[in-house]
Amino acid sequence: MFEFLFKYPRTVFSRGEFVLLGGWPKWILFILLLAAAGGLAWLIRSKLPQASPHIRNWKAGAIWLLQFAMAALLLILLWQPAIMVAELRPQQNIIAVLVDDSRSMAIAENGATRESQAVKALDSGVLDQLQKKFQVRLYRADGRLTRIAKLDDLKTATPAPATRIGDGLNQLAGEEADLPIGAVVLLSDGADNSGGIDLDTISTFRSRRIPVHTVGFGAEQTPHDIEINDAVVAPRALADSRLAAKISFHQRGFGGQKSMLKVLDGQKILAAKEITFASDGQVQNETLLFNAGPAGSKTLQFTIDPLSVEENRTNNSVARLVNVESAKRRILYVEGEPRWEYKFIRRAEQDDRIVSIASMLRTSENKIYRQGIQDPKELADGFPSTVDELFDYQALIVGSVEVNYFTPAQQDLIQQFVDRRGGGLLLLGGRSSLGDGGWGVSKLADLLPVLLPNKKGTFHRDPATVELTSAGADSIITQLVEDPSKNAERWKKLPYLMDYQEAGTPKPGAVVLAEMNGGNRKLPLLVTQNYGRGRTAVLATSGTWRWQMSQPLEDQTHEQFWQQLLRWLVTDTPGRVVASVPSQMLFDDGRVRFSAEVRDKNYLPAADARVEAHILGPGGAAAQIEMTPDPNTPGTFHADWTADQPGSYLTEVTASRANEEVGRDVLTFARMDGIAENFHTEQNRDLLEKLSAQTGGRYWKPEELLRLPSEISYSEAGITVRDTKDLWNMPVIFLLILLLRSSEWLLRRKWGVV
Amino acid sequence: MRLLVPTSIVFLLMSMSTGLLALQRGGFQEDPYSAREARTYYENGDLKSEYAWSRLRYSSASNYGGYGFYGGGNWSRDYPKADRQFLIALKRLTRIQARPTEQVVTLDSDDIFNYPWVYAVQVQTWTFTDAEAKRLREYLLKGGFIMVDDFHGTTDWEHFMSGMLMVFPDRPIEDLSDKDELFHVLYDLSERFQVPGEQYVSTGRTYEKDGYVPAWRGIRDDNGRVMVAICYNMHLGDAWEWADDPRYPEKFASLAFRIGINYVMYGMTH
Repeated sequence: MFEFLFKYPRTVFSRGEFVLLGGWPKWILFILLLAAAGGLAWLIRSKLPQASPHIRNWKAGAIWLLQFAMAALLLILLWQPAIMVAELRPQQNIIAVLVDDSRSMAIAENGATRESQAVKALDSGVLDQLQKKFQVRLYRADGRLTRIAKLDDLKTATPAPATRIGDGLNQLAGEEADLPIGAVVLLSDGADNSGGIDLDTISTFRSRRIPVHTVGFGAEQTPHDIEINDAVVAPRALADSRLAAKISFHQRGFGGQKSMLKVLDGQKILAAKEITFASDGQVQNETLLFNAGPAGSKTLQFTIDPLSVEENRTNNSVARLVNVESAKRRILYVEGEPRWEYKFIRRAEQDDRIVSIASMLRTSENKIYRQGIQDPKELADGFPSTVDELFDYQALIVGSVEVNYFTPAQQDLIQQFVDRRGGGLLLLGGRSSLGDGGWGVSKLADLLPVLLPNKKGTFHRDPATVELTSAGADSIITQLVEDPSKNAERWKKLPYLMDYQEAGTPKPGAVVLAEMNGGNRKLPLLVTQNYGRGRTAVLATSGTWRWQMSQPLEDQTHEQFWQQLLRWLVTDTPGRVVASVPSQMLFDDGRVRFSAEVRDKNYLPAADARVEAHILGPGGAAAQIEMTPDPNTPGTFHADWTADQPGSYLTEVTASRANEEVGRDVLTFARMDGIAENFHTEQNRDLLEKLSAQTGGRYWKPEELLRLPSEISYSEAGITVRDTKDLWNMPVIFLLILLLRSSEWLLRRKWGVV
Repeated sequence: MRLLVPTSIVFLLMSMSTGLLALQRGGFQEDPYSAREARTYYENGDLKSEYAWSRLRYSSASNYGGYGFYGGGNWSRDYPKADRQFLIALKRLTRIQARPTEQVVTLDSDDIFNYPWVYAVQVQTWTFTDAEAKRLREYLLKGGFIMVDDFHGTTDWEHFMSGMLMVFPDRPIEDLSDKDELFHVLYDLSERFQVPGEQYVSTGRTYEKDGYVPAWRGIRDDNGRVMVAICYNMHLGDAWEWADDPRYPEKFASLAFRIGINYVMYGMTH
């Protein structure tokens, strides 16, 4: 329709430049236009008195307008309006046609697979038309780009598992850099599983002015589908501790309905939660809290129960790996005076088989009472003054101790303990704690997650009730009952604290997990933050022991809270060797990069260590590789490897220096084939439209494809010729003239002016 | 008119004896050191503290030496001077922030759970209702600690046990060895001897009734912690109370203080 009226396709007008071809200069045109306007106006005005009275108003102006428009149009036409546009020289340019050949294109919709739909669209004349005007190169795009001779070759090739449009385009830009490519036509569903197309690829095409025309296949929305987008869970945990997993998902077609979100370890359900779906397409986030169980490498399945009509059920569950460790953790607890909280904390921790507390208590002015020590020499000289001694622990608890109890060297050591060693630090409320102990003005004030108040007398022996914050609702530290929705209620029912301390204001990066009402004010109770490689927390009370003494004998709230808090404090404290991979789940591609951070006895980076990785795979496959140091970051080592088979892999990374072992770490990962393609099966129209818009092409639907050959000529890439197209003989101009004249005549007749 | 004088004399006598009776039954409401006033009696201005010496007022078995002739018998024996003196020593010798005045707790309310360390004397006279026994049992199992003192001889022991068995019918009572942590928390008390009451000054005897041999015994919980510390055949309360009497030997008072302080320290660390 557009082309019928305007003679040329829309692309011409959007890309082209409007010019006037007439020989005479343009200013004459302007003068003539003004003259026409003026002349007509004068003409009408002079005739006005003689005309009938009812025409002496705006109607005269309307007539003048129409006559002027007519005159202007004719004048412009005299100057030969035209449009200049770059057009590809036929037969001198190459059009690259890429057909996405990945597994997602094999999904059948309406009886035909996406790929066959693509082939059909090409076969229906588009390819022939293109071949008439240009040289056409056909490519198969999966992970790599392969040139094929004819469309039939697509059928014989095995489909690649994953879609990687970005890789394919990159390869095209790279390999065919010398060729005059006029345009690229990409037939795909856009379901890129490698994370999309990066800006580098797009800018390459833009700088070469190659437009990428994308043709989208596949339903843009599956009518009924639930899909889990991601599940995030900590890769390491201590045995028998709580884990929190954040799951995000979306659905179509089930808005308002309910289903169950579960996490399973093998067959065993660790936790289940009923979820209600929001509106279609909206991404929802839910948190699941569950027990990590005994030590070992676990594969956790996060699943949403499928609802009846759902076709694709494979994308209802994702797998994640967690390494549950059982190595013992030790905490050093320094207490300044005998207090009930001290005793009850020790009692709460005595049943924990993994975490143990070694404590030193100032019982009298010159005596320190030690408990939980492993041998008589431990802490015999008081608080550790050497790195060796202190860094042996994974966390530090400081009770009612004024900061100047620690010598400046010891204070530095504490700071290094958190920052460099990655340990945890917990400060409790008390007579000589926090603000009342000078912590706010010490050099350790930086470590704290709060800005302490600048006054004395912040510790009050008055009752304070407790309350969970919204951040605390999702935290593994503060979960006291299995059902998270009842947790806040449980917290409200806890006995009041025996005392409270004003802890000031939380710092911007800190998280307040619980608050208390003390002295008619709402104060932060439990504040945590990460610091350096470690973490710090403040519990602004020494009165939680009432949760033990004032609740029934069977109640385990106090024990549970302290065990969870202390486990949080130590779980992420790293050892001397920390091994990691960018992602523990490999989908269809076995390439993996191991990284290891190695520290020496003082927890300083050990750049001269010898690091090896021993890998055990499925079916007994084993490998041993040496890791090479990273030149930019001393103490970091890398190794690249490929997991050939799908399955679970276990890697042990050992580091040694001068024949002495520095440490070791265990890492698990898994390769899963054929899973990724079941996710994001909808046509990613967004991606395809962006790709074409940013490179100057257009997004096409398969039905519109027949127009492609004519429109594709208009491109600035390749070998082009600038063509000037006349506009004067556009049918629309003829129609316009007709319209102006006839409307003028009709109006005149209507108003009785001849 | 004739009967006025005898009636009024009789009336006077009756009211006096009733008053005496009430006094001996523990009606301390007017006593300046009474429990309620102790809580409001400021000495150093800081009433609230981490530790408060808590003396257990238990119900007495009515048919045994309840209101003994010696006056001030059973739970309030040596109260409050013994408590006060002990607190002075505690403050001087440890870093425990203790309230300078003592207080009395009972098993009738849940208030006792706010004071995880209690002291009871003359426990041969104690007895419990079911509710009281349950409360004491839970109190101890949850982390509380009780020190019992000043009961002597076999008869006293039997009566003590009848009360104790109401609380812990199944738990054995064991002798505490010299190596027990209780005797080494702050002071090392491997060598101990019998601490007599004030009667030593006049009689020269360290024992009372037929309690010739002192015994430090205890009841442990499932983790081996001593919850009930039993001081049998000794009178630590008197030693604290008469420590300032020049006739009362210093060595007894010293040991008594040390034992008490160790017990408090143990209760606050285990």
